[in-house]
Amino acid sequence: MRNGLLSITPAFFKVWLRNAQVYVALLKFNIIPALVEPMLFIFVFGLGLGSYISEIEGVPYVKFVAAGILGSASIMQATFECTYGSFFRMKIQNTFEGMISTPISAGEVGLAEILWGASRGFFNSVLVLSALLFLGIIDHWQAVFAPLLMFLAAFNFAALAILVTSRIAQMEYFRFYFAGFVLPAQFLCGTFFPISRFPEPVQLFAWVIPFTSYVDITRSLMLDRLSWKLGLEALYALATTLLFTEIAVRSMYRRLVT
Amino acid sequence: MVIEAKSLHKRYGGIVAVKSLDFGVEKGRCYGLVGPNGAGKTTTMKMIYCIVLPTSGSLRVFGLDVLSHPRQIKARLGVVPQENNLDPDLTTWQNLMVYARYFGLPRPLARRRCQEQLDFMDLSDRAGTPVPDLSGGMKRRLIMSRALVNDPELIILDEPTTGLDPQVRHLIWDKLLELKDRGITLLLTTHYMDEAQKLCDEIIIMDQARRVDVGSPTELIRRHLPPYVLEARAGRRLAADILGRFPEISHQESGQSLYFYGSAATDFDGILAAWPRVEHVLRPASLEDVFLKLTGREIRA
Repeated sequence: MRNGLLSITPAFFKVWLRNAQVYVALLKFNIIPALVEPMLFIFVFGLGLGSYISEIEGVPYVKFVAAGILGSASIMQATFECTYGSFFRMKIQNTFEGMISTPISAGEVGLAEILWGASRGFFNSVLVLSALLFLGIIDHWQAVFAPLLMFLAAFNFAALAILVTSRIAQMEYFRFYFAGFVLPAQFLCGTFFPISRFPEPVQLFAWVIPFTSYVDITRSLMLDRLSWKLGLEALYALATTLLFTEIAVRSMYRRLVT
Repeated sequence: MVIEAKSLHKRYGGIVAVKSLDFGVEKGRCYGLVGPNGAGKTTTMKMIYCIVLPTSGSLRVFGLDVLSHPRQIKARLGVVPQENNLDPDLTTWQNLMVYARYFGLPRPLARRRCQEQLDFMDLSDRAGTPVPDLSGGMKRRLIMSRALVNDPELIILDEPTTGLDPQVRHLIWDKLLELKDRGITLLLTTHYMDEAQKLCDEIIIMDQARRVDVGSPTELIRRHLPPYVLEARAGRRLAADILGRFPEISHQESGQSLYFYGSAATDFDGILAAWPRVEHVLRPASLEDVFLKLTGREIRA
Protein backbone atom coordinates (compact mmCIF):
# COMPACT_ATOMS: atom_id res chain seq x y z
CA MET A 1 0.00 0.00 0.00
CA ARG A 2 2.84 2.35 0.87
CA ASN A 3 3.81 3.22 -2.68
CA GLY A 4 0.56 2.69 -4.55
CA LEU A 5 -2.38 4.98 -5.19
CA LEU A 6 -3.18 5.31 -1.50
CA SER A 7 0.15 7.09 -0.94
CA ILE A 8 -0.66 9.82 -3.47
CA THR A 9 -1.14 13.40 -2.26
CA PRO A 10 -2.56 16.31 -4.27
CA ALA A 11 1.07 17.35 -4.91
CA PHE A 12 1.02 15.03 -7.93
CA PHE A 13 -0.94 17.65 -9.82
CA LYS A 14 2.13 19.92 -9.85
CA VAL A 15 3.84 17.43 -12.14
CA TRP A 16 0.78 17.50 -14.42
CA LEU A 17 1.06 21.31 -14.44
CA ARG A 18 4.70 21.12 -15.47
CA ASN A 19 3.78 18.91 -18.41
CA ALA A 20 0.93 21.23 -19.37
CA GLN A 21 3.32 24.19 -19.25
CA VAL A 22 5.74 22.49 -21.64
CA TYR A 23 2.80 21.45 -23.87
CA VAL A 24 1.64 25.05 -24.14
CA ALA A 25 5.19 26.21 -24.84
CA LEU A 26 5.30 23.77 -27.77
CA LEU A 27 1.63 24.15 -28.74
CA LYS A 28 1.98 24.42 -32.49
CA PHE A 29 4.01 21.21 -32.59
CA ASN A 30 1.34 19.45 -30.57
CA ILE A 31 -2.00 20.46 -32.05
CA ILE A 32 -1.55 20.24 -35.79
CA PRO A 33 0.03 16.77 -36.13
CA ALA A 34 -2.46 15.38 -33.62
CA LEU A 35 -5.29 16.27 -36.00
CA VAL A 36 -3.72 14.81 -39.12
CA GLU A 37 -4.07 11.13 -38.26
CA PRO A 38 -7.79 11.14 -37.36
CA MET A 39 -8.62 13.35 -40.35
CA LEU A 40 -6.80 10.88 -42.57
CA PHE A 41 -8.76 8.04 -40.96
CA ILE A 42 -12.07 9.79 -41.60
CA PHE A 43 -11.04 10.38 -45.18
CA VAL A 44 -9.69 6.89 -45.87
CA PHE A 45 -12.05 4.71 -43.87
CA GLY A 46 -15.13 6.86 -43.70
CA LEU A 47 -15.38 8.53 -47.05
CA GLY A 48 -13.06 6.38 -49.19
CA LEU A 49 -13.68 2.84 -48.02
CA GLY A 50 -17.11 3.88 -46.72
CA SER A 51 -18.37 4.58 -50.22
CA TYR A 52 -18.07 0.83 -50.93
CA ILE A 53 -19.81 -0.14 -47.71
CA SER A 54 -23.31 1.13 -47.61
CA GLU A 55 -24.22 0.33 -44.03
CA ILE A 56 -22.87 -1.43 -40.97
CA GLU A 57 -25.29 -2.41 -38.21
CA GLY A 58 -27.93 -0.24 -39.79
CA VAL A 59 -25.95 3.03 -39.97
CA PRO A 60 -23.80 4.58 -42.72
CA TYR A 61 -20.22 3.34 -42.32
CA VAL A 62 -18.79 6.81 -41.67
CA LYS A 63 -21.11 7.17 -38.65
CA PHE A 64 -20.23 3.69 -37.42
CA VAL A 65 -16.51 4.33 -37.68
CA ALA A 66 -16.59 7.77 -35.98
CA ALA A 67 -16.34 6.28 -32.47
CA GLY A 68 -13.45 4.07 -33.56
CA ILE A 69 -11.56 7.01 -35.00
CA LEU A 70 -12.09 9.04 -31.84
CA GLY A 71 -10.93 6.08 -29.76
CA SER A 72 -7.89 5.19 -31.77
CA ALA A 73 -6.73 8.81 -31.92
CA SER A 74 -7.05 9.18 -28.14
CA ILE A 75 -5.27 5.99 -27.17
CA MET A 76 -2.47 6.72 -29.62
CA GLN A 77 -1.91 10.17 -28.11
CA ALA A 78 -1.85 8.72 -24.60
CA THR A 79 0.39 5.85 -25.60
CA PHE A 80 2.97 7.98 -27.39
CA GLU A 81 3.01 10.47 -24.53
CA CYS A 82 3.54 7.82 -21.86
CA THR A 83 6.00 5.67 -23.78
CA TYR A 84 8.45 7.81 -25.75
CA GLY A 85 7.50 11.04 -23.97
CA SER A 86 7.75 9.70 -20.44
CA PHE A 87 10.83 7.61 -21.18
CA PHE A 88 12.55 10.69 -22.57
CA ARG A 89 11.73 12.70 -19.46
CA MET A 90 12.79 9.83 -17.22
CA LYS A 91 15.97 8.58 -18.84
CA ILE A 92 17.30 11.28 -21.16
CA GLN A 93 16.34 14.53 -19.42
CA ASN A 94 16.46 13.13 -15.87
CA THR A 95 13.36 15.22 -15.19
CA PHE A 96 11.83 12.62 -12.87
CA GLU A 97 14.93 12.38 -10.72
CA GLY A 98 14.81 16.13 -10.23
CA MET A 99 11.14 15.99 -9.27
CA ILE A 100 11.59 13.25 -6.70
CA SER A 101 14.44 15.18 -5.10
CA THR A 102 11.72 17.60 -3.96
CA PRO A 103 8.75 16.65 -1.74
CA ILE A 104 7.08 15.03 -4.78
CA SER A 105 7.08 11.21 -4.50
CA ALA A 106 7.91 8.74 -7.25
CA GLY A 107 4.37 7.34 -7.22
CA GLU A 108 3.03 10.85 -7.71
CA VAL A 109 5.25 11.31 -10.74
CA GLY A 110 3.87 8.04 -12.15
CA LEU A 111 0.24 9.02 -11.58
CA ALA A 112 0.78 12.53 -12.95
CA GLU A 113 2.31 11.12 -16.12
CA ILE A 114 -0.68 8.80 -16.56
CA LEU A 115 -3.12 11.64 -15.95
CA TRP A 116 -1.18 13.77 -18.39
CA GLY A 117 -1.32 11.07 -21.08
CA ALA A 118 -5.05 10.73 -20.48
CA SER A 119 -5.45 14.51 -20.70
CA ARG A 120 -3.76 14.55 -24.07
CA GLY A 121 -6.13 11.84 -25.24
CA PHE A 122 -9.00 13.97 -23.95
CA PHE A 123 -7.85 17.19 -25.68
CA ASN A 124 -7.43 15.20 -28.85
CA SER A 125 -10.89 13.68 -28.70
CA VAL A 126 -12.40 17.16 -28.24
CA LEU A 127 -10.58 18.33 -31.37
CA VAL A 128 -11.60 15.30 -33.39
CA LEU A 129 -15.19 15.46 -32.16
CA SER A 130 -15.40 19.10 -33.25
CA ALA A 131 -14.13 18.11 -36.67
CA LEU A 132 -16.67 15.28 -36.90
CA LEU A 133 -19.42 17.67 -35.88
CA PHE A 134 -18.28 20.11 -38.55
CA LEU A 135 -18.38 17.34 -41.16
CA GLY A 136 -21.95 16.52 -40.17
CA ILE A 137 -21.12 13.02 -38.93
CA ILE A 138 -22.59 13.51 -35.44
CA ASP A 139 -26.34 13.00 -35.11
CA HIS A 140 -27.03 12.74 -31.39
CA TRP A 141 -26.36 15.16 -28.53
CA GLN A 142 -25.12 12.30 -26.32
CA ALA A 143 -21.88 12.52 -28.28
CA VAL A 144 -20.79 15.29 -25.89
CA PHE A 145 -19.98 12.52 -23.41
CA ALA A 146 -17.62 10.86 -25.86
CA PRO A 147 -14.52 12.87 -24.76
CA LEU A 148 -15.11 11.77 -21.18
CA LEU A 149 -15.06 8.13 -22.27
CA MET A 150 -12.04 8.84 -24.42
CA PHE A 151 -10.35 10.31 -21.37
CA LEU A 152 -10.91 7.03 -19.52
CA ALA A 153 -9.78 4.92 -22.46
CA ALA A 154 -6.68 7.07 -22.80
CA PHE A 155 -6.13 6.75 -19.03
CA ASN A 156 -6.20 2.99 -19.42
CA PHE A 157 -3.60 3.05 -22.18
CA ALA A 158 -1.49 5.65 -20.40
CA ALA A 159 -1.33 3.40 -17.34
CA LEU A 160 -0.24 0.42 -19.44
CA ALA A 161 2.33 2.59 -21.20
CA ILE A 162 3.76 3.83 -17.90
CA LEU A 163 3.95 0.24 -16.72
CA VAL A 164 6.02 -0.64 -19.80
CA THR A 165 8.11 2.53 -19.54
CA SER A 166 8.97 1.79 -15.92
CA ARG A 167 10.21 -1.70 -16.84
CA ILE A 168 12.39 -1.23 -19.90
CA ALA A 169 16.06 -0.36 -20.16
CA GLN A 170 16.07 1.20 -23.60
CA MET A 171 13.53 2.86 -25.87
CA GLU A 172 13.76 0.20 -28.58
CA TYR A 173 11.61 -2.13 -26.48
CA PHE A 174 8.65 0.12 -27.22
CA ARG A 175 8.62 -1.34 -30.72
CA PHE A 176 7.62 -4.70 -29.24
CA TYR A 177 4.89 -3.03 -27.24
CA PHE A 178 3.51 -1.19 -30.24
CA ALA A 179 3.66 -4.17 -32.57
CA GLY A 180 2.51 -6.70 -30.01
CA PHE A 181 -0.22 -4.77 -28.25
CA VAL A 182 -1.00 -1.20 -29.25
CA LEU A 183 -1.53 -1.75 -32.97
CA PRO A 184 -3.57 -4.95 -32.53
CA ALA A 185 -5.70 -3.14 -29.96
CA GLN A 186 -6.14 -0.19 -32.28
CA PHE A 187 -7.51 -2.42 -35.04
CA LEU A 188 -9.07 -5.42 -33.30
CA CYS A 189 -11.16 -3.72 -30.65
CA GLY A 190 -14.15 -2.89 -32.79
CA THR A 191 -12.72 0.40 -33.94
CA PHE A 192 -13.20 0.04 -37.70
CA PHE A 193 -15.70 -2.80 -37.97
CA PRO A 194 -17.76 -4.93 -35.57
CA ILE A 195 -15.78 -7.61 -33.80
CA SER A 196 -18.60 -10.11 -34.40
CA ARG A 197 -16.85 -10.67 -37.75
CA PHE A 198 -13.89 -12.31 -36.00
CA PRO A 199 -13.53 -15.99 -35.05
CA GLU A 200 -14.56 -16.53 -31.43
CA PRO A 201 -11.08 -16.71 -29.85
CA VAL A 202 -10.22 -13.34 -31.40
CA GLN A 203 -13.50 -11.90 -30.17
CA LEU A 204 -12.68 -13.10 -26.68
CA PHE A 205 -9.22 -11.55 -26.89
CA ALA A 206 -10.78 -8.29 -28.05
CA TRP A 207 -13.23 -8.19 -25.14
CA VAL A 208 -10.42 -8.79 -22.65
CA ILE A 209 -8.83 -5.54 -23.78
CA PRO A 210 -10.84 -2.83 -22.01
CA PHE A 211 -10.54 -0.61 -25.06
CA THR A 212 -13.21 -2.73 -26.77
CA SER A 213 -15.65 -1.79 -24.02
CA TYR A 214 -14.74 1.89 -24.21
CA VAL A 215 -15.25 1.95 -27.98
CA ASP A 216 -18.53 0.05 -27.71
CA ILE A 217 -19.91 2.41 -25.06
CA THR A 218 -18.83 5.48 -27.02
CA ARG A 219 -20.35 4.16 -30.22
CA SER A 220 -23.61 3.27 -28.48
CA LEU A 221 -23.77 6.79 -27.09
CA MET A 222 -23.04 8.44 -30.41
CA LEU A 223 -25.62 6.31 -32.19
CA ASP A 224 -28.12 6.58 -29.31
CA ARG A 225 -28.33 2.82 -28.67
CA LEU A 226 -28.04 2.46 -24.93
CA SER A 227 -28.54 -0.92 -23.28
CA TRP A 228 -27.93 -2.63 -19.92
CA LYS A 229 -24.99 -4.57 -21.34
CA LEU A 230 -23.07 -1.31 -21.45
CA GLY A 231 -23.19 -1.08 -17.65
CA LEU A 232 -21.22 -4.30 -17.36
CA GLU A 233 -18.75 -3.11 -19.94
CA ALA A 234 -18.29 0.17 -18.09
CA LEU A 235 -17.69 -1.69 -14.84
CA TYR A 236 -15.08 -3.93 -16.45
CA ALA A 237 -13.37 -1.04 -18.21
CA LEU A 238 -13.18 1.10 -15.07
CA ALA A 239 -12.01 -1.74 -12.85
CA THR A 240 -9.18 -2.70 -15.20
CA THR A 241 -8.18 0.94 -15.61
CA LEU A 242 -7.92 1.30 -11.85
CA LEU A 243 -5.98 -1.92 -11.57
CA PHE A 244 -3.51 -0.99 -14.31
CA THR A 245 -3.02 2.41 -12.69
CA GLU A 246 -2.25 0.91 -9.29
CA ILE A 247 0.28 -1.50 -10.81
CA ALA A 248 1.86 1.20 -12.98
CA VAL A 249 2.23 3.66 -10.09
CA ARG A 250 3.96 1.05 -7.93
CA SER A 251 6.14 0.00 -10.80
CA MET A 252 7.24 3.59 -11.43
CA TYR A 253 8.09 3.93 -7.74
CA ARG A 254 10.30 0.86 -7.94
CA ARG A 255 11.97 2.20 -11.05
CA LEU A 256 12.76 5.62 -9.59
CA VAL A 257 13.53 4.78 -5.96
CA THR A 258 16.09 2.00 -5.90
CA MET B 1 23.31 16.52 14.08
CA VAL B 2 21.92 17.22 10.62
CA ILE B 3 22.85 13.80 9.25
CA GLU B 4 23.58 10.66 11.22
CA ALA B 5 24.54 7.44 9.45
CA LYS B 6 25.10 4.25 11.42
CA SER B 7 26.45 1.09 9.78
CA LEU B 8 24.73 2.14 6.58
CA HIS B 9 24.65 -0.51 3.84
CA LYS B 10 23.47 -0.39 0.27
CA ARG B 11 23.47 -3.42 -1.97
CA TYR B 12 22.26 -3.59 -5.57
CA GLY B 13 21.76 -7.27 -6.33
CA GLY B 14 25.20 -8.72 -5.73
CA ILE B 15 27.04 -5.41 -5.79
CA VAL B 16 27.82 -3.66 -2.53
CA ALA B 17 27.74 0.09 -3.14
CA VAL B 18 28.06 1.26 0.46
CA LYS B 19 29.32 -0.86 3.32
CA SER B 20 29.03 -0.24 7.08
CA LEU B 21 29.32 3.49 6.69
CA ASP B 22 29.28 5.65 9.82
CA PHE B 23 29.39 9.40 9.79
CA GLY B 24 27.79 12.47 11.23
CA VAL B 25 27.22 15.93 9.83
CA GLU B 26 26.91 18.90 12.14
CA LYS B 27 24.89 21.98 11.45
CA GLY B 28 26.48 24.92 9.64
CA ARG B 29 29.60 23.16 8.45
CA CYS B 30 30.80 21.97 5.08
CA TYR B 31 31.53 18.27 4.55
CA GLY B 32 33.25 16.70 1.60
CA LEU B 33 32.84 13.13 0.41
CA VAL B 34 35.88 12.21 -1.64
CA GLY B 35 36.94 8.96 -3.22
CA PRO B 36 37.64 7.32 -6.58
CA ASN B 37 34.78 6.80 -9.04
CA GLY B 38 32.58 3.96 -7.82
CA ALA B 39 33.54 4.47 -4.17
CA GLY B 40 29.90 4.94 -3.15
CA LYS B 41 29.75 8.73 -2.84
CA THR B 42 26.77 9.34 -5.10
CA THR B 43 24.86 6.38 -3.63
CA THR B 44 25.45 7.80 -0.15
CA MET B 45 24.16 11.20 -1.24
CA LYS B 46 21.10 9.71 -2.91
CA MET B 47 20.26 7.84 0.28
CA ILE B 48 20.35 11.17 2.11
CA TYR B 49 17.89 12.77 -0.28
CA CYS B 50 15.74 9.67 -0.17
CA ILE B 51 15.82 8.41 -3.74
CA VAL B 52 17.97 5.39 -2.91
CA LEU B 53 16.77 3.23 -0.03
CA PRO B 54 19.34 1.86 2.44
CA THR B 55 19.52 -1.94 2.53
CA SER B 56 20.33 -1.91 6.24
CA GLY B 57 21.69 0.31 8.97
CA SER B 58 20.18 3.62 9.96
CA LEU B 59 20.22 7.01 8.30
CA ARG B 60 18.64 10.02 9.92
CA VAL B 61 18.43 13.46 8.34
CA PHE B 62 17.22 16.34 10.57
CA GLY B 63 16.58 13.59 13.12
CA LEU B 64 14.08 11.90 10.77
CA ASP B 65 14.43 8.41 9.36
CA VAL B 66 14.90 8.39 5.58
CA LEU B 67 12.63 5.36 5.16
CA SER B 68 9.66 6.77 7.05
CA HIS B 69 9.88 10.53 6.39
CA PRO B 70 11.22 11.15 2.89
CA ARG B 71 8.79 13.96 2.11
CA GLN B 72 9.56 15.93 5.27
CA ILE B 73 13.30 15.51 4.74
CA LYS B 74 13.25 16.49 1.07
CA ALA B 75 11.23 19.62 1.86
CA ARG B 76 14.16 20.95 3.92
CA LEU B 77 17.07 20.25 1.61
CA GLY B 78 18.42 21.41 -1.73
CA VAL B 79 20.02 19.07 -4.25
CA VAL B 80 22.57 19.87 -6.95
CA PRO B 81 22.84 16.61 -8.92
CA GLN B 82 25.85 15.45 -10.86
CA GLU B 83 24.00 15.47 -14.17
CA ASN B 84 22.13 18.41 -15.58
CA ASN B 85 18.40 17.80 -15.19
CA LEU B 86 17.10 21.25 -16.10
CA ASP B 87 13.96 21.42 -18.18
CA PRO B 88 15.20 22.22 -21.71
CA ASP B 89 11.75 23.24 -22.94
CA LEU B 90 11.41 25.98 -20.32
CA THR B 91 13.20 29.24 -19.61
CA THR B 92 15.51 29.97 -16.70
CA TRP B 93 12.70 31.65 -14.79
CA GLN B 94 10.19 28.89 -15.50
CA ASN B 95 12.66 26.25 -14.34
CA LEU B 96 12.86 27.98 -10.97
CA MET B 97 9.13 28.59 -10.66
CA VAL B 98 8.31 24.95 -11.45
CA TYR B 99 10.54 23.88 -8.56
CA ALA B 100 9.10 26.49 -6.24
CA ARG B 101 5.74 24.90 -7.01
CA TYR B 102 7.04 21.40 -6.23
CA PHE B 103 8.03 22.76 -2.84
CA GLY B 104 4.55 24.18 -2.37
CA LEU B 105 5.59 27.84 -2.06
CA PRO B 106 2.71 30.29 -2.42
CA ARG B 107 3.05 32.26 -5.66
CA PRO B 108 4.17 35.67 -4.30
CA LEU B 109 6.80 34.00 -2.11
CA ALA B 110 7.88 31.80 -5.03
CA ARG B 111 8.40 34.85 -7.22
CA ARG B 112 10.41 36.61 -4.56
CA ARG B 113 12.60 33.56 -3.87
CA CYS B 114 13.25 32.88 -7.55
CA GLN B 115 14.27 36.49 -8.11
CA GLU B 116 16.54 36.40 -5.04
CA GLN B 117 18.22 33.22 -6.21
CA LEU B 118 18.71 34.53 -9.73
CA ASP B 119 20.34 37.64 -8.27
CA PHE B 120 22.44 35.55 -5.91
CA MET B 121 23.87 33.45 -8.75
CA ASP B 122 24.23 36.47 -11.10
CA LEU B 123 21.64 35.20 -13.56
CA SER B 124 19.06 38.00 -13.39
CA ASP B 125 19.68 39.08 -16.98
CA ARG B 126 19.02 35.51 -18.16
CA ALA B 127 15.55 35.04 -16.68
CA GLY B 128 13.86 34.74 -20.07
CA THR B 129 16.55 32.63 -21.74
CA PRO B 130 15.61 29.08 -22.79
CA VAL B 131 17.85 26.55 -21.09
CA PRO B 132 19.56 25.26 -24.27
CA ASP B 133 20.88 28.80 -24.89
CA LEU B 134 22.70 28.94 -21.54
CA SER B 135 26.41 28.16 -21.32
CA GLY B 136 27.62 25.22 -19.22
CA GLY B 137 28.54 27.55 -16.38
CA MET B 138 25.16 29.29 -16.45
CA LYS B 139 23.34 25.95 -16.38
CA ARG B 140 25.33 24.97 -13.31
CA ARG B 141 24.51 28.28 -11.63
CA LEU B 142 20.85 27.81 -12.50
CA ILE B 143 20.88 24.36 -10.91
CA MET B 144 22.41 25.98 -7.80
CA SER B 145 19.70 28.67 -7.77
CA ARG B 146 17.07 25.99 -8.14
CA ALA B 147 18.47 24.09 -5.15
CA LEU B 148 17.98 27.24 -3.07
CA VAL B 149 14.36 28.18 -3.84
CA ASN B 150 13.01 26.31 -0.82
CA ASP B 151 15.47 28.04 1.52
CA PRO B 152 17.09 24.70 2.48
CA GLU B 153 18.86 23.95 5.76
CA LEU B 154 21.11 21.43 4.03
CA ILE B 155 22.45 21.51 0.49
CA ILE B 156 23.76 18.38 -1.18
CA LEU B 157 26.06 18.93 -4.14
CA ASP B 158 27.36 16.12 -6.31
CA GLU B 159 30.51 17.36 -8.07
CA PRO B 160 29.34 20.97 -8.25
CA THR B 161 32.25 22.29 -10.31
CA THR B 162 33.19 19.39 -12.58
CA GLY B 163 33.82 20.61 -16.11
CA LEU B 164 33.59 24.32 -15.33
CA ASP B 165 36.08 27.06 -16.13
CA PRO B 166 38.11 28.63 -13.30
CA GLN B 167 35.95 31.78 -13.21
CA VAL B 168 32.75 29.84 -12.58
CA ARG B 169 34.48 27.51 -10.12
CA HIS B 170 35.63 30.48 -8.06
CA LEU B 171 32.18 32.05 -8.23
CA ILE B 172 30.58 28.82 -7.02
CA TRP B 173 33.15 28.48 -4.22
CA ASP B 174 32.41 32.05 -3.09
CA LYS B 175 28.69 31.39 -3.09
CA LEU B 176 29.07 28.14 -1.18
CA LEU B 177 31.18 29.84 1.49
CA GLU B 178 28.58 32.59 1.69
CA LEU B 179 25.85 29.99 2.21
CA LYS B 180 27.92 28.35 4.92
CA ASP B 181 28.31 31.72 6.65
CA ARG B 182 24.52 31.95 6.73
CA GLY B 183 24.48 28.74 8.77
CA ILE B 184 23.48 26.37 5.97
CA THR B 185 25.01 22.90 6.15
CA LEU B 186 26.79 21.71 3.01
CA LEU B 187 27.67 18.23 1.87
CA LEU B 188 29.51 17.86 -1.40
CA THR B 189 31.45 15.35 -3.43
CA THR B 190 34.41 16.37 -5.50
CA HIS B 191 37.37 14.96 -7.35
CA TYR B 192 39.30 18.19 -6.91
CA MET B 193 41.33 18.08 -3.73
CA ASP B 194 42.03 21.81 -3.91
CA GLU B 195 38.27 22.34 -3.85
CA ALA B 196 37.83 19.99 -0.90
CA GLN B 197 40.67 21.68 0.96
CA LYS B 198 39.29 25.14 0.28
CA LEU B 199 35.65 24.50 1.15
CA CYS B 200 35.42 21.63 3.57
CA ASP B 201 35.73 21.68 7.34
CA GLU B 202 35.55 17.93 7.39
CA ILE B 203 36.43 15.35 4.76
CA ILE B 204 35.19 11.79 4.55
CA ILE B 205 37.42 9.67 2.34
CA MET B 206 35.65 6.69 0.79
CA ASP B 207 37.06 3.81 -1.18
CA GLN B 208 35.44 0.58 -2.36
CA ALA B 209 32.15 1.29 -0.58
CA ARG B 210 33.81 1.97 2.78
CA ARG B 211 34.91 4.95 4.79
CA VAL B 212 38.68 5.04 4.82
CA ASP B 213 39.19 8.03 7.09
CA VAL B 214 37.59 11.23 8.23
CA GLY B 215 38.95 14.53 9.50
CA SER B 216 39.71 18.13 8.64
CA PRO B 217 42.09 18.64 5.69
CA THR B 218 45.00 19.61 7.94
CA GLU B 219 44.28 16.75 10.34
CA LEU B 220 44.24 14.26 7.51
CA ILE B 221 47.51 15.52 6.11
CA ARG B 222 49.16 15.49 9.52
CA ARG B 223 47.84 12.02 10.29
CA HIS B 224 49.01 10.36 7.12
CA LEU B 225 52.05 12.20 5.80
CA PRO B 226 55.13 14.13 6.85
CA PRO B 227 54.78 17.81 5.97
CA TYR B 228 57.06 17.87 2.90
CA VAL B 229 56.97 16.10 -0.41
CA LEU B 230 59.62 15.93 -3.08
CA GLU B 231 58.09 14.90 -6.33
CA ALA B 232 60.74 13.78 -8.80
CA ARG B 233 60.39 12.67 -12.37
CA ALA B 234 62.89 9.93 -12.82
CA GLY B 235 63.12 7.15 -15.35
CA ARG B 236 63.09 3.59 -14.05
CA ARG B 237 66.86 3.24 -13.94
CA LEU B 238 67.43 6.53 -12.18
CA ALA B 239 64.61 5.70 -9.76
CA ALA B 240 66.25 2.40 -8.83
CA ASP B 241 69.52 4.26 -8.36
CA ILE B 242 68.01 6.91 -6.08
CA LEU B 243 66.05 4.40 -4.05
CA GLY B 244 69.18 2.28 -3.66
CA ARG B 245 71.17 5.16 -2.23
CA PHE B 246 68.52 6.64 0.02
CA PRO B 247 66.55 3.69 1.34
CA GLU B 248 65.85 5.45 4.65
CA ILE B 249 63.62 8.17 3.13
CA SER B 250 59.98 7.11 2.95
CA HIS B 251 58.71 7.12 -0.61
CA GLN B 252 56.10 5.97 -3.11
CA GLU B 253 56.45 5.18 -6.80
CA SER B 254 53.86 5.95 -9.39
CA GLY B 255 54.42 5.73 -13.12
CA GLN B 256 57.26 8.07 -13.99
CA SER B 257 57.20 9.83 -10.63
CA LEU B 258 58.79 9.24 -7.28
CA TYR B 259 57.33 10.81 -4.17
CA PHE B 260 59.61 11.28 -1.17
CA TYR B 261 58.19 12.32 2.17
CA GLY B 262 60.14 14.25 4.78
CA SER B 263 59.60 16.18 8.01
CA ALA B 264 61.76 19.09 6.80
CA ALA B 265 62.60 20.50 3.41
CA THR B 266 66.25 19.79 4.14
CA ASP B 267 65.57 16.04 4.28
CA PHE B 268 65.88 15.94 0.53
CA ASP B 269 69.20 17.82 0.30
CA GLY B 270 71.11 14.56 -0.20
CA ILE B 271 68.95 13.47 -3.12
CA LEU B 272 69.08 16.84 -4.81
CA ALA B 273 72.85 17.11 -4.32
CA ALA B 274 73.41 13.67 -5.85
CA TRP B 275 71.11 14.31 -8.83
CA PRO B 276 71.08 18.06 -9.32
CA ARG B 277 69.47 17.80 -12.72
CA VAL B 278 66.52 15.61 -11.82
CA GLU B 279 63.22 17.28 -12.68
CA HIS B 280 61.49 17.91 -9.36
CA VAL B 281 59.04 19.89 -7.23
CA LEU B 282 59.52 20.41 -3.53
CA ARG B 283 56.22 21.32 -1.86
CA PRO B 284 54.17 20.92 1.30
CA ALA B 285 52.16 17.69 1.50
CA SER B 286 48.64 18.16 0.19
CA LEU B 287 45.27 16.53 0.52
CA GLU B 288 45.82 15.01 -2.90
CA ASP B 289 48.86 13.16 -1.56
CA VAL B 290 46.76 11.80 1.31
CA PHE B 291 44.00 10.82 -1.09
CA LEU B 292 46.39 8.96 -3.34
CA LYS B 293 48.14 7.34 -0.43
CA LEU B 294 44.88 6.04 1.04
CA THR B 295 43.10 5.05 -2.14
CA GLY B 296 46.14 3.98 -4.14
CA ARG B 297 47.80 5.57 -7.12
CA GLU B 298 46.83 2.87 -9.56
CA ILE B 299 43.71 3.28 -11.69
CA ARG B 300 40.88 0.89 -11.01
CA ALA B 301 38.06 0.16 -13.35
